[in-house]
Amino acid sequence: MRSITKLLMLSGAALAVVAAQPAANAAWKPEKPIEFIATAGPGGGTDIIARTVQGIITKYKFVDRPIVVVNKGGGSGAEGYTYGKSMAGDPYKVIFGTSNAWQQPMVSKVAFNYTDLTPIAAMAQDEFLIWVKQDSPWKTAGDYLKAAKSGNLKMGGAQSKDTDEVLTRMIEKIADVKITYIPFKSGGEAAVQLAGGHIDSHVNNPSESVGQWRGGTQHPICVFSSKRLTNTDKVTATEGWSDIPTCVEQGLNIPTYQQPRTVWLPGKVTPEQAAFYVDLMKKVEDTPEWAEYIKRTSQTNTFLTGDEFQKFIKDDIEHVHQIAQEQGWLVK
Amino acid sequence: MESNIESLMHGFGIAITVQHILLMTIGVLLGILVGVLPGLGAPNGVSLLLPLTFGMQPVSAIILLSSMYWGALFGGSVTSILFNIPGEPSSVATTFDGYPMARDGRPSTALATAFGSAAFGALVGVVLITLVASWVAQFALRFGPPEYFAVYFLAFASFVGMGGTPPIKTLVALAIGFAIAAIGIDTVSGSVRLNFGIPELVKGVDFVVAVMGLFGIGELLLAVEEELHAKAVSSKIDWREVFRTVVGLPRYGWTLVRSAAIGCWMGITPGGPTAASFMSYGIAKRFAKKGVRFGTGVPEGIVAPEAADHSAGTSALLPMLSLGIPGSATAAVMMGGLMIWGLNPGPMLFIDQRDFVWGLIASMYVSNIVAVVLVLLTVPMFAALMRIPFFIIAPLIFIICTVGAYSVSNSYLDVVLMFGFGVVGYLFKKASYPLAPLVLAIVIGDKAEDAFRQAMLMSKGSLGIFFSSPLVTCLVLGGFAFLLVPQLMKLVRPHRRRAGLEPTEI
Amino acid sequence: MISQRAIEVTTAVLTGMFGLAVVVSSTDNGIGWGEKGVDAGTFPLIVGATIMFGSVYNLARGTLVAHEVAVTWPALRRVAGLFVPAAIFIALIPTLGMYVASFGYVLATVGWQRKLTQWKTFAIAVATPLFLYVVFEKLFVVSLPHGALFEMMGL
Repeated sequence: MRSITKLLMLSGAALAVVAAQPAANAAWKPEKPIEFIATAGPGGGTDIIARTVQGIITKYKFVDRPIVVVNKGGGSGAEGYTYGKSMAGDPYKVIFGTSNAWQQPMVSKVAFNYTDLTPIAAMAQDEFLIWVKQDSPWKTAGDYLKAAKSGNLKMGGAQSKDTDEVLTRMIEKIADVKITYIPFKSGGEAAVQLAGGHIDSHVNNPSESVGQWRGGTQHPICVFSSKRLTNTDKVTATEGWSDIPTCVEQGLNIPTYQQPRTVWLPGKVTPEQAAFYVDLMKKVEDTPEWAEYIKRTSQTNTFLTGDEFQKFIKDDIEHVHQIAQEQGWLVK
Repeated sequence: MESNIESLMHGFGIAITVQHILLMTIGVLLGILVGVLPGLGAPNGVSLLLPLTFGMQPVSAIILLSSMYWGALFGGSVTSILFNIPGEPSSVATTFDGYPMARDGRPSTALATAFGSAAFGALVGVVLITLVASWVAQFALRFGPPEYFAVYFLAFASFVGMGGTPPIKTLVALAIGFAIAAIGIDTVSGSVRLNFGIPELVKGVDFVVAVMGLFGIGELLLAVEEELHAKAVSSKIDWREVFRTVVGLPRYGWTLVRSAAIGCWMGITPGGPTAASFMSYGIAKRFAKKGVRFGTGVPEGIVAPEAADHSAGTSALLPMLSLGIPGSATAAVMMGGLMIWGLNPGPMLFIDQRDFVWGLIASMYVSNIVAVVLVLLTVPMFAALMRIPFFIIAPLIFIICTVGAYSVSNSYLDVVLMFGFGVVGYLFKKASYPLAPLVLAIVIGDKAEDAFRQAMLMSKGSLGIFFSSPLVTCLVLGGFAFLLVPQLMKLVRPHRRRAGLEPTEI
Repeated sequence: MISQRAIEVTTAVLTGMFGLAVVVSSTDNGIGWGEKGVDAGTFPLIVGATIMFGSVYNLARGTLVAHEVAVTWPALRRVAGLFVPAAIFIALIPTLGMYVASFGYVLATVGWQRKLTQWKTFAIAVATPLFLYVVFEKLFVVSLPHGALFEMMGL
């Protein structure tokens, strides 16, 4: 008797599941225009990746609906994430961001957290380097840190309490120095300030400063990576990305520090919808245009999704949380 | 310099093809459309066209996008003049005299004056880029945070502190503008400021939303209350009036040249077109001959902001190409485009991509001519809008403002804010609070604050940094001179000033 | 009828309240010189205080203004005639969407005047949302709000 009831209940539940998801096997497909939300102003790294992905999808016709890129970079990206949160259940909004999605809620009173969004993938890892002015006397990280002992070095970077400043604070701690961090609106602005000699260094991503390097206003002294970069193209007449020593080689023991480029959907979308976009982004990564983009911007290609992506986020949160705590940045 | 002219000729060879002229025409027409519709604006238009350019040659792509930019710069003045609604931040100052002139029954003259002086400003900007590009790029590098702050200070000083409004009301209006500019995430500390418990305010209050409310809706309410209906515009399409106006522009030669110079200066340094147009208007007013009553619809009041706006808008492209920093929001979108097309903006672009750079510069000459011809042709058509009866045009203006506010960032909150700003604009007008300082403070208030605090970080709290180099010292002293000299003049010659009391609109 | 004094006083009270809100809000961000240079709340505090003191001064002066008429009743009625429908229009956008709301708004405000024939009024009311649709939705791909009512119906 009891087993029959159980059976009935089970089959009832099974029926309910089937009824609720009639399209469990049929893959979801977009039927309306898709909006890409770049959590950065026009021209920023996040904007460029969103537009690159848009270009690739349009070129190969991976999706037969139009794709529009919308910039919501207000509040260091908070505008875009908050918008994504408010669009819960809408599978036509794809949010392009960085580690800001989980770092920003830690240090500022913003109205979202990354848990409000559905993670799709981390598509690339941007590298960080220490850049100094072309004619500066510091040739290696060692020289730089020696100079930093005076406590008068000025480090520029994009935004406050964000990746650039976190890295600066890590350098301070590991090398036991004090550096004045000056936040600007973007890495590009910091690069120009360095060219003009208003600051002593910055920790820009390769793409933010490659033009300046070629133009001979500034050059990198080391890269925060466990091994040298793989791109062997020459940037200047004599040097290229693969010639830059790692910071560890030069005695600054920060083996890796990278900026993930992340892609999200709003919360409460169905697994099929999420799967569609995971698959779409995978297709994008397999194109020669994507390879070209990665190479040009000297990023590292990765594709983290599902549990891997979640683990990555957890590890990063743990790491940043510690620094934020030491600096007294955590929001109360 | 000679080699520059040679390169320019080479550039003309690239830019002038049938296909490119066609692209320019399309770009300009689309640009006029986004410029006319408030809220859409050049940055939106350019970013929407961007995907279409992925398959093009970079030089064709940039010609299309930059033509759209020129078109939008011109189009932005149309609604400022006809309806007191600035379609672009940089055309706010055009409303001060453009709108009174249009309401006085001379919309064609107002529009033609604006377009003519704008074209002159743009031309000066392009010539500057052609001749002294590399020198200018080097000069721009000398601007660090203290210099940035000093430039903003100079812009404020040249504009504020004049006119006949009660000083405390001016101060309150200015401070409200600063407070609005501070809403959102603060760059220097990374924390959220002044969101008054509304999470969405983290994005800040967009300038266009504030301005459409304060000026557009406020003016609409005022017009209906005071029955300030525009004087009848003659119904026949009058091309001669347009022609006469453009030919007569050299009369304002000195204003044109000075405004274009201010525009170039602000475009190269970080001030940007909006600050340029305000500063140019303020300075024109100070240097005005006796009897020229700014704010009542005088041509100089249109010439000054328009010439400055366009020369700044044009020369703002220079830092983008040579340094990789965008001088305006639209330049930022284009810079994104450069990177997607596989070019790296920066000091080497002029050498690596000679065809591209000089093709673009040559196209600036051509597409500005295309733009000014097209836009002058549209003058009678736009002027005819003034003949639509008020009871029909009022709801339509209101809808356009609503849609414009919404389309700034797809947000309903912006629509409500714009409406609120409309009420404030009306009240401020009735109680004679000046709106212009408020608007200027919204535009450059937070930038000035950031620059000040960055400078303080650099100097570890010493104000001496504002006198640490000849450049910054000159800028700061110039600002003080603008603030103090008029006050001293008042002390010395009290009765003369009283006789020529300025109108209170500004 | 509204007096100039009422307008002066209302405006000063409004700006004063805003100033107070700015001052209160700025205390969240730290005032003075901190670890990161000038603290984020310093500037808003100064600005907010300026607004408050300025407003108090304007309030005092506003009460001294002569009791002259600033807005007469007929004028006020005209303002309300523009303001009230506009406010209703904005309030209805979330439910009805931009297109239907603007159709209704134009139909109501232009029709109210009875200066145009009915079919002309109707034509303008239809043309407005149509123009918005073509320019924004199609040409510039800006999705205007369609309205909760119609989204429920799957539009």
